[in-house]
Amino acid sequence: MTMDKREFLGSSGIPVRTLELWLEQRWLIPAETQAGPAFSEADIARARLIKELKTDFSVNDEGVDIVLHLMDQLHGLRQVLAQLREDMRRRAPPV
Amino acid sequence: MRNPYEVLGVAPTATPGEIQTAYRKLAKTLHPDLNPGDKSAEDKFKEVAGAYDLLGDAEKRKRFDSGEIDATGAERPQHPYYRDYAASDQARPYADASGFADFADGDDAFAELLRRAQQARANRRGADLHYRLPIRFVDSIMGANTRLTLPEGGTLDVKIPPGLVDGQVLRLKGKGAPGAGTGGPGDALIEVEVLADPRFAREGDDISLELPISLSEAVLGGRVPVPTPTGHVTMAVPKGSNTGTILRLKGKGAPRRDGGHGDQFVKLKVILPRPPDPELEAFVSNWANAKAFNPREDKTA
Repeated sequence: MTMDKREFLGSSGIPVRTLELWLEQRWLIPAETQAGPAFSEADIARARLIKELKTDFSVNDEGVDIVLHLMDQLHGLRQVLAQLREDMRRRAPPV
Repeated sequence: MRNPYEVLGVAPTATPGEIQTAYRKLAKTLHPDLNPGDKSAEDKFKEVAGAYDLLGDAEKRKRFDSGEIDATGAERPQHPYYRDYAASDQARPYADASGFADFADGDDAFAELLRRAQQARANRRGADLHYRLPIRFVDSIMGANTRLTLPEGGTLDVKIPPGLVDGQVLRLKGKGAPGAGTGGPGDALIEVEVLADPRFAREGDDISLELPISLSEAVLGGRVPVPTPTGHVTMAVPKGSNTGTILRLKGKGAPRRDGGHGDQFVKLKVILPRPPDPELEAFVSNWANAKAFNPREDKTA
């Protein structure tokens, strides 16, 4: 299930100008389709996180940039770790 | 439900500033997206966020302090966090391998393992894409070749196998989203919606149809054309057929998996001539036996 730009703005309550800034910063990278951007559930959850960082935690734009960059690296590490675990399980079947 | 003051670790006399500070301190360490591996973080964060919803709002706090609402009044609805999607294909544009790039550069066994793991992720199969395709009832029985216009542009040729039922999902191998590296594309999953046909109804492998017949066909019998999903056939209506009489056309139903076919059941419906025919009226009023037969005999007793 994806949302188009209008649905996304409506459900997230994010002002259009703010969204454009976030897209410019590449904090959000929705899939590009002929009908415009298509926001996945991951994009929507990510937008909610950015909103919480800014409003609840008073993180400024530079801070959000750093948090997202570190978070993406952390998830990269987690994924490679998950893949390692899978490889090891396959290689060493339980006796 | 714990007392929200206890949850945030502040005194009931705390100022709004103290409450906000306490919340931020807790929330920063508990936010699920800042703790992607900690399953318990979500519950704890929910509790803290719920307490802050209540105490961070002067109006709600006043009502809670006076006992008008309890701590459950601020329970937060569950919503998915980014971490729930971070490992999915949806998060691919955000993927960042720089966190371990240096470890993977080495020539030791561990670097080799990391590279392989990264490769395996890089060569993931593409996602399956879901579509919905409405088809005509007749095509669901007979099978057909149709073309699906994709919402993202382009088309997909779909071969409808005969005997398909409403809601069935067709899998077109390799027609999904492209994969990464050597991963190969995903599949297209097409849910078929069989549009209703005013003439036919389907029950299992059998098809039923209501067929209007004339009075003379009902009384004298005759051969009448009947629509079936495979075209018209001629059917013999026996003499003395009535409204409600059901005739069976063997093998004219939906194809079965074992190679056979279901049947088509034709329910007759006698229709008097339109407009009313004076000759028929004259005949029936002179017809001696007409009043002798009471079709409601066993129903009105």
